[in-house]
Amino acid sequence: MNGVSILSVGIDIGTSTTSMVLSRIQMRNTASGFSVPQVCIVGSEIIYKSEIYTTPLVDGILIDTEKIRAILEKEYDKAGITPSMIQTGAVIITGESARKQNASLVTQTLSSFAGDFVVATAGPDLESVIAAKGAGAQQYSKEHSCVVANLDIGGGTTNIAVFHCGELCAKGCWDIGGRLVQVDRQKKVTYLSPRLPAIMKAAGVSLELGRTADWQELDRLCRVMAQVLEDTLKFTASKLCEEMRTAGSSRLTLSRPVEYITFSGGVADCVYSPQEDWFRFGDIGPILAHSIRESSLMRDYQVIPPKETIRATVVGAGSYTTSVSGSTITYTDESVFPVKNLPAFLLGRETEHQCLTGNDRNLREETEWFLEQNDCDNLLFCIQDIDSLSYRQLNLLADALCHTADSALGKEQTVMVLCRGDFAKALGQAMQRRLLDRKLVCIDSISVQFGDYIDIGRPLMNGMAVPVVVKTLLYG
Amino acid sequence: MTDQKLIELVTQAVLAQLAGQPPAAPAQQPSAEETEPLADITDKAHKMAINIEHPVNRDALEQMKTKTPARIGVGKAGPRLKTATMLTLRADHAIARDAVFRDVDEQVLSDLNLFSVQTLCTERNEHLTRPDLGRQFSPETINQLKSKCESAPTVQIYVCDGLSSQAVDANARDVLPALMDGLKGYGIQTGTPFFVKFGRVPAMDVISEALGAQVTCVLIGERPGLATADSMSAYIAYKAAVGMPEARRTVVSNIHKGGIPAVEAGAHIATVIKTMLERKASGVDLQM
Repeated sequence: MNGVSILSVGIDIGTSTTSMVLSRIQMRNTASGFSVPQVCIVGSEIIYKSEIYTTPLVDGILIDTEKIRAILEKEYDKAGITPSMIQTGAVIITGESARKQNASLVTQTLSSFAGDFVVATAGPDLESVIAAKGAGAQQYSKEHSCVVANLDIGGGTTNIAVFHCGELCAKGCWDIGGRLVQVDRQKKVTYLSPRLPAIMKAAGVSLELGRTADWQELDRLCRVMAQVLEDTLKFTASKLCEEMRTAGSSRLTLSRPVEYITFSGGVADCVYSPQEDWFRFGDIGPILAHSIRESSLMRDYQVIPPKETIRATVVGAGSYTTSVSGSTITYTDESVFPVKNLPAFLLGRETEHQCLTGNDRNLREETEWFLEQNDCDNLLFCIQDIDSLSYRQLNLLADALCHTADSALGKEQTVMVLCRGDFAKALGQAMQRRLLDRKLVCIDSISVQFGDYIDIGRPLMNGMAVPVVVKTLLYG
Repeated sequence: MTDQKLIELVTQAVLAQLAGQPPAAPAQQPSAEETEPLADITDKAHKMAINIEHPVNRDALEQMKTKTPARIGVGKAGPRLKTATMLTLRADHAIARDAVFRDVDEQVLSDLNLFSVQTLCTERNEHLTRPDLGRQFSPETINQLKSKCESAPTVQIYVCDGLSSQAVDANARDVLPALMDGLKGYGIQTGTPFFVKFGRVPAMDVISEALGAQVTCVLIGERPGLATADSMSAYIAYKAAVGMPEARRTVVSNIHKGGIPAVEAGAHIATVIKTMLERKASGVDLQM
């Protein structure tokens, strides 16, 4: 009973490429026999990497759902697995926003064979974090106690995440990528991203569809793009940086200077090993990589090799999206799992502490308001401020939550609670005594933020803990 | 310069420095000691401070210090500890000694409605020097337990000072009711709880036999170390009997603010006891 491993899938549908990985996430009870159990993720091992496919598109813009499905069917077959074997993971659709228009349809189509507990995830910030973890930037910063920035340069976007001693300290996404311009063998322009005009203006270049581009023009364009990345990391955010920031992404704000850089994404391969055949991929990726090699990024920081380049995002999605709850938790009925897309309702500091004094008016009002605003039937009560509490306070909190659940939630709804502090078992037991036959889930040791959605998987290791995926955005 | 004059100068400079003033400046403002309360040198913030003068990687040291209460990254003065480290060490030691030598707060016992009994030890020094007496009761005490407690309970819980009265003061109010209510929630009957003064762990075997409990659980103060004096353990055994192997005890240790929180520990112990009753085993026989 010392350890288990779960099979996780990562699927990345990017602007230019699509790939899949399978990994085994190992979990073990790391506590000694004398203390309370503590199930931790102790490692993950990639057991299968798919080929890298060109993302199939309809009309050059929308993702071709049927073809994606065919790719995955083929790869599952090659890997020798069936969807029912998959226990966790994430489908992530990254890159240019235009392509995300049918993202929700894509994930719906995939859900039938991505497995029971595979989450669809999106949002430029989250993509940055996932890619950086896949590239190994987080691990490097932790092991070497330093500041590492990962630049995941793909076809449509550059996702940046910065870690300090293993902790995320900044993230953001810019519309800078190798496929913003596509050309054929004769250097005739076949595609121009709608985000390109600002860069063309800054570079003093004007490309047109169907016209042949010369190398110097493309080089000037790529130098401007590299400059945007340089400025962003130095937080001398220029007007162009601000303009090229992906919609919905954070600004990069750093409290300490970046020391190391890793590059990942398709363009990274050309950064680490330069291409001489400039138009091999039918885009400006190799030229952009060349501009980056010439830029101050290579001189001002120590550039280190990533664990993954083009597969960083998919490995991140497969290996680093799942976390595990605390190991003293309460649930009344295993059949409620998996729980998907539960909106996180943060009580907030003031309301949390009000509950501890026996006043639950705010909690009730805010719960009703939240359900109405989000147009949903259920929610996850998230207690994030309370660190520790006395038994008396615990009972008052249980009273408040149970009264609220009774008045605001339908009788058939499972009452779901998540706390950051380690008291879910005690709180759960106290609530169970009050709720009697009603279904209840109470888990802890997970941090969530405003606007997050949470998925909870089936209990692991004799029911000690549950796998949890926190995501920042849902489609549609 | 005469020796006398030199000594005078040095003394002045040292005194000025001790008062937190640069040596040359005349003491016009009130010193830090007069305006602010004295810092608690045993508190967490104080212990997190890095006293190495020029660490190669301060970040790494800070990270390491969050992982352990051990005195790392404290620097040195020649071959010795720095004065600040030495003082903190002695203060921590003093806390540990106090925790051992103090009695449990009567208010805690009355809040929890616990009556008290005592082992064969008559006073604190005997408790510390005669572990054999700390696991025995007089026939009168056994009779008192039998008359005041429900007999043959499914679970008998009691609280004991052990080697840290402070651990009882800090945790009992939260662990005991969380545990009792937790068991009640599972539909498991519990006997009458009480308090044992000057007790050692194996006293639970005598109590188990005297009251005929299926499971006996003692919440007892752990021998304090230099990291915390607040730590409590639960020793639990299925059909505990005098002379049984130690391997039949299950222990949940490290119940304190920096370890497992008291309320959560109570809830966890309730689950452990539930499993114990289902499997009719404890200690190494009970693979959780």
